[in-house]
Amino acid sequence: MSLELLRISASGSPAPGVRSVPAVTKLVDTTTCIGCKACEVACQEWNDLPPEPTTQTGTYQTLPDLTANFWNLITFNEHDDSGTLRWLMRKDQCMHCSEPGCLIACPAPGAIVQYANGIVDFQQDHCIGCGYCVTGCPFDVPKFNPRTRRVYKCTLCVDRVSVGLQPACVKACPTSCLQFGTKEAMLEIANRRVEQLKASGFARAAVYDPPGVGGTGVVTVLAFADQPELYGLPRDPTVPMAVSFWKGPLKWIGNLAMLGGLAVAAIHYVRFGRKEDPDQIPNPKDQIPNSTTRL
Amino acid sequence: MTEQGHGRIVRYTFRERAVHLAAALSYVYLLLTGLAFWTPAMYWLAIVLGGGYLSRVLHPWVGIVFSVAVALMYAMWRRDMRTTDADRAWRRSIVHYIRNEDAKVPPAGRFNFGQKQLFWIMVGGAVALLLSGIVMWLVASVPRELRGLRYAAVVVHAVAALLTSAGFIVHLYMGLLVVPGGLSAILHGEVSERWARHHHPLWLEEKPTVTIKDVGSRT
Amino acid sequence: MASLAATFGRGAMTNGWTDIRNADVVLAMGGNPAENHPVGFRFVMEAKRNRNATLVCVDPRFNRTAAVADRFVQIRAGTDIAFLGGLINYALTHNRFHQEYVRLFTNAPLLVSERYAFDSARGVFSGWDAERRAYTDISSWTYDIGPDGYARTDPTLQHPRSVFQVMRQFYARYTPEEVSRICGCSADDFVKVADVITSTYTPDRAGTIMYALGWTHHSHSVQLIHAAAMLQLLLGNIGRPGGGLNALRGHANIQGGTDCGMAYHNLPGYIPVPKVGDETLNAFVTAATPRALRPNSTNFWSNTDRFVVSQLKAFYGAAATRQNEFGYRLHPRLPQSDGGAYENWSWAYIFDAMHDGGLEGFFSFGMNPVSNGPNSRKAIAGLSKLKWLVVAENFEQETAAFWRDDILSLVDLTPEDVQTEVFMLPAANFAEKDGSFVNSARWIQWKWKAVDPPGDAKPDQEIVARIFLKVRELYEQEGGTFPDPIRGLNWWYSNPTSPSLEEVSREINGWALEDVRDASGAVVVGRGRQLSRFLDTRADGSTLSGNWLYIGMFTDQGNLAQRRSTADPSGLGRYPEWTFSWPANRRILYNRCSADGDGRPWDATRVGIAWNGERWVGDTPDYTVDSAPGADLGAFIMLPEGVARLFVPGQFADGPWSEHYEPVESPVANPLHPEHSSNPAVRPFGSPFDTLGTAEEYPIVCTTYRLTEHFHYWTKNNPYAVQLQPEFFVEIPEELAREKGIANGDQVRVTSARGSIEGKAMVTRRIKPMQIDGRQVYQIGFPIHWGFLGRGAQRGSLANLVTPTVVDPNSFAPEYKGFLVRLEKV
Repeated sequence: MSLELLRISASGSPAPGVRSVPAVTKLVDTTTCIGCKACEVACQEWNDLPPEPTTQTGTYQTLPDLTANFWNLITFNEHDDSGTLRWLMRKDQCMHCSEPGCLIACPAPGAIVQYANGIVDFQQDHCIGCGYCVTGCPFDVPKFNPRTRRVYKCTLCVDRVSVGLQPACVKACPTSCLQFGTKEAMLEIANRRVEQLKASGFARAAVYDPPGVGGTGVVTVLAFADQPELYGLPRDPTVPMAVSFWKGPLKWIGNLAMLGGLAVAAIHYVRFGRKEDPDQIPNPKDQIPNSTTRL
Repeated sequence: MTEQGHGRIVRYTFRERAVHLAAALSYVYLLLTGLAFWTPAMYWLAIVLGGGYLSRVLHPWVGIVFSVAVALMYAMWRRDMRTTDADRAWRRSIVHYIRNEDAKVPPAGRFNFGQKQLFWIMVGGAVALLLSGIVMWLVASVPRELRGLRYAAVVVHAVAALLTSAGFIVHLYMGLLVVPGGLSAILHGEVSERWARHHHPLWLEEKPTVTIKDVGSRT
Repeated sequence: MASLAATFGRGAMTNGWTDIRNADVVLAMGGNPAENHPVGFRFVMEAKRNRNATLVCVDPRFNRTAAVADRFVQIRAGTDIAFLGGLINYALTHNRFHQEYVRLFTNAPLLVSERYAFDSARGVFSGWDAERRAYTDISSWTYDIGPDGYARTDPTLQHPRSVFQVMRQFYARYTPEEVSRICGCSADDFVKVADVITSTYTPDRAGTIMYALGWTHHSHSVQLIHAAAMLQLLLGNIGRPGGGLNALRGHANIQGGTDCGMAYHNLPGYIPVPKVGDETLNAFVTAATPRALRPNSTNFWSNTDRFVVSQLKAFYGAAATRQNEFGYRLHPRLPQSDGGAYENWSWAYIFDAMHDGGLEGFFSFGMNPVSNGPNSRKAIAGLSKLKWLVVAENFEQETAAFWRDDILSLVDLTPEDVQTEVFMLPAANFAEKDGSFVNSARWIQWKWKAVDPPGDAKPDQEIVARIFLKVRELYEQEGGTFPDPIRGLNWWYSNPTSPSLEEVSREINGWALEDVRDASGAVVVGRGRQLSRFLDTRADGSTLSGNWLYIGMFTDQGNLAQRRSTADPSGLGRYPEWTFSWPANRRILYNRCSADGDGRPWDATRVGIAWNGERWVGDTPDYTVDSAPGADLGAFIMLPEGVARLFVPGQFADGPWSEHYEPVESPVANPLHPEHSSNPAVRPFGSPFDTLGTAEEYPIVCTTYRLTEHFHYWTKNNPYAVQLQPEFFVEIPEELAREKGIANGDQVRVTSARGSIEGKAMVTRRIKPMQIDGRQVYQIGFPIHWGFLGRGAQRGSLANLVTPTVVDPNSFAPEYKGFLVRLEKV
C-alpha cells in the first residue's frame, strides 16, 4: 500500500488520504547518546549517499552542518553547567513538523508531501530548486545540492517505514537513544525518561516537541530543555512569521489587489473608454469630411 | 514645426525603445513565472513557459536582464522624471485625466506625472526585487545566523512584485487600450506633433531634445 | 589477563556484556566503553534507564563515556592505582565493605608469611636487592603455611598477619588527600565518587567495573587491575549478577586468541609452555599442577595431566604414543637465555631482538607492528634488519611498506640500505570467511561468511595450511634440526590445504579416542563421540582435545557456537542458549559468590545460583553442582586456596599487591616514595631508540587512545570512517593552548624523547590542567588511527612514533598511556 497523503505542497486540492494512520515518531534521547555516529553512516548507506569530503577543524563533529548528502549529523557542544562540564550531543536532522514550514513555503505542486503518518518527504522530481523550503524551515534543515539543483533532507526512511521497518539510524543505534514508534508510545518513553532525569538532578529536563510547528515527528529528550540553544535547537520554533505572512495574508491581499486592478481597468474601459486620439481630431484648418465625431 | 501640425516627432530614440522593450519583455516573463511561483492557481503558467524547473532557473537570470534594463532607463530618463510644478498641477487634476477629460488636464512635459510615478515605482521596485531576489537565489549560502535576511527577502520580493505589477497593469492598460498612439510611440519612436501637443505640450515647447521631421502633409 | 587469572583463577571478563544491565553502579575507568565498545555500552544505558544505575567515569579526559556519566573525575594518566588504593582505604576505614563475603570468598583470613614486608618509605617489598636493583627473592610473598601444608587462617580477620589486617595497614596511606596529591583530582570529588562506588558493599546492591586498554597499557598494569579486583572483592561484587570486573577486550577475537595460546608462554587453555628442564611429561605436569592450599579446595588445575595429554593427542595424533609420552618428547621447549632466565618472546622483546639482529624472518598476520607497537622507529629499524618479512593483510599497510622512502627516512635509512625481502599475502577479512569470535564475555560465537574474498585473498587457515604443508615437505625432503614436531603434527583435515573450521572446532572441543569409563567401569563417552564435560578427558591418551577450556562447545549436539536462542529463563539477560560460553557455558564466573554461606542468594532479585537442598540451580554453577554449600570447596575453584586473592602469593613480578608507582616517564617523583618512583621491577631496554625524557625537557603528560569512528589502522581504508574522522589531531587543554598561542585547528607538533608527530590542534575544555604534588601539570592526548597508507590525510602521523618501549613486568604490555612530551605550534 502506498502511503496516505495528508498534505501536498502548492496544491489547490485537498490531499487524497482517507485512511486513519497513527503518526510515527523518532525519539532522540540526547542523555543516552554517546555520539558514536553509527546513525550518520547508517543513513548514508541506506540512502546510498556518497561520503562527504571532510577536514579536522578542531571538533569531533563530522561536518559543521547538514549537507545535501548528509542528512543526519551528530552535533557536539561543550557546555559549562555552573562548573560541571557537559558534552552535549544531539542528532540534527529533519524534525518532520506537523506544520511543516518547508511544505507551506514550497511553490512546486507535489514537491513536498506530508504523509498521513506524519513523515514530511521531498519529491525531488517535482522540486524546482527554488529554495523556498530553506526559508520556510525553522530548523535550517533542507540543503541544496548545487549539482542537481534540488533540495534534500532526511526522509525518515519512508521507504523502510512504509514496509514496516524502523529507520536505518534507529536500527544502527547501539544505545537505544534512538527509538521509533507511534508518537504516543515515543512520548510515553520520553516522558518517563524526563521524570527519571528530574529525579537524578536534571530539574530542567524536558521533551522537545515544539508546539509552534504543531509538534514534531522527531521528539528529543533534553537535559537542559530551558536552553535548547545549547544543542543548536531554536527556542519555540514556528513557521517563520515572514513565511506565514507571505503564504497567508499577503498572498490573498496580493491576489485580490491584482484581480481588483484588472477589474478597475475593465470598469474604466467600459465607463471612459479610450482617450481621444489627437491625430484623429480634425484640424480646424484642414477638416476631413468623412471623419467621425467622437461621442 | 509645421503649420499643420502634421510633422513627425521622435519621441523615443532607438536606444530608449530597445531598453524599454528589454525591460518590458523581461518583466512580462518575470511576472508570469513569478505568478506561477506565487500561487498554485497560476502554476500552469510555468508549465506553459517550459516547466517549473526551467522557469525557476531562468527567472533569476531574466531578473538580471530586467535589472540592467531598468538601470539603463534610470540613466536615460532620471532627469526627465523629476517632479515639476506642472506635475503637481497635473496631479491635482488627475480625476480629469482618469475621466479622459484631457482638455481639463494641465499640460504635461515629456512624461506626465503618472508616467513618472510608474518610473519611480519600477526603479524602486527593481532595486528591491534585485536585492531580495539575490538573497532568494543564493538562499542556500545565507548562513543560519543571517536567516532574517531570508525572511525579509521573501516578503520584500513579494511586496515589490505586487507594487510593480500594479504599476505594470496600469501602464499596460494605458498604453495598449487607453492612449491611442502610445504603443506605436514606444514601438516606432515617433509621434505626431499633434499627439505631442495634445499629451505633452510642455515637452513640445521646451523641446530641447525633440527632433522634428517634416514629413509633409498626410493628405 | 595475567592479573585476573592470578587473582580469581581465570583471565577473562568475570560476568558478561548482557549482565551489565543488572548493575546499580557502573565504574568506567581505564576504558572508554562508550567510545570503544559502543554496542556493549547499550547495557550500561539499560542499567541507567531501567535500574537508575549510576555511571561513574574516571579518566584523564572528559570522553564520550563521561558525556553520559552521572559523575566524572579527571585524574592524571598513570595514577589509577592511587585512586583505587584510595577507594580500598575508603571502603575499609568507613566500614563500607561486605564483611561476610570477604570472610567467605577471599583470602582475607589467610595469614601472610612472617618474612613478608613492605618498605613504605622506599617503596619496595621484601626480597629487593638494592645492589642488583631487582627482586631476587620473592619467596616471602606467600602465606604462612602450617605443618599440614595448608595456609594458616584466622576467620575473625583480627590476626595482625591476616591478609585483611596487612592490607588495611598497607592501604591506610591512600587517604583522600594523598589521592588528590597524586591523581590531581580534588579530595572532595574523590570522596563523593568513593561514596557512590562503595555504596555497593551491601548485599542488595551490585556494582561493576568496566576497563580496557586504559588499564592494561601501563608499566604497572597488572597491579592496577589487581587493585580493582581487590576493591570489587571487598565490596562483594565478584561472581554476582550486576557485579564483576569486566575486561573489555580490544578486538573482536582477542579473548579467543588469548584462550588459544596467543601469548608466547601459554599453550591453548592456559597450559604453560614447557620449558627447557621440564624433561619428562611427568616433570612438566608436576610443575604445572598447583598444590591445594586449603583442605577441601577444589583446585581444578589438579586435572592438568588430563588436559595436557588430551592436547598432545590433538597436536600429534597417531604420533603421540605412550612410548614418546604422548608426543611430549616431540614438543618444543622454551629455551633459557644466557642469564639463565627463560627467553621472553612477547611483543617488545621480539622487536628488541629483531633490532639486535637476532631474527631472520617474521610473520605478521593481521598485525601492523610499525603502527601498533610502541616506539615505531625501533620497529622500523628492526624490520630493516630482517632477511624476510611475510605480511598477511586485507590492505597494504605500514609494515608491509616499511621499505618506503618516507617511512625509512624516520630512521635515516633509504630503500637501498634495506635487504629485507617482503612478501605481502592478501588475506580475507572477517566478513569474508566463516569462523568464530570469542568476545569479552567468553561467548564463542560462530559467524558466517558474508561475501567471498576479493581476488587472490585467502582465509587465514588456508594461508597457514599451505605454508605448513610446504614446510613439512621441505623437512621431509631435506631434514632439519628438529623436524619431529612438524612431521608429527596431526593434520587430519579432509581438505589439508584449507581445513574446514568446523573440523577445527570439533578438534578444539575434542572427542573420545577410546571408550571413556568412569571409576565403576561404565562407559561415559563412547569411542568417537564428542566430549561434553571437562572431566571426560583422560590422561591415558584415550581422549583428544585441542583446548580443554572449550569443551562443550562442539558436542554430539553439534556446534553450540551457532546457537541463537534468546530464551532467558533467569530474566537477567543470561541467554544460556545463545552460543556457548566457556567454561561449561557459565555466564557468570565465580557465581558461587552470588549466594551466602548457606547457598541463599545475597539478593533474591538477582540470583546467580542458589542451593535448593540437593543441587545448585540457576546459571551453570562454578562449583560442584551437587556439593552442599558447607562442603567448603572454595568459590574460586581454579585457585589452590579456593578463595580469591587479595594478597597474591608469588604470581607477580612486582609485588604481592598493588602499590602506586609513577609511569616510567612522569612529571613528578612518586610522592609516596621518590626513591622508587616507578615500578622497580620494570626492566628497561637498551637500544639507541629506547630513550626516556625528563620532566624538565618534556613537561607535559601525554596519553594515546582510540576513536569510535575508527578501528585501529584498518578503517583508514574505509571512506565512510575516514569521512567521520579525517585527520590526526591532538587534544589540548584551553589553558595550555593559550600559553602556547595555539588556536583550534592550528597545526601543532608533539615531541617525546623517541620522536615527534604533527597534526591539528583540538583545543578543548575536556582536559583540564591539574595540581600534582603542588605543581601545575598539563595533560594532552591523541588518537592513534593514522599513518602513511590509506585514504584521506595520511601524513605519517603514526601515534607510536612518540610512545616508549617500556613494558609491564608481568604482562609485557607497553606503556602507551602516560608518557612525557613537549608541545609546540608549527
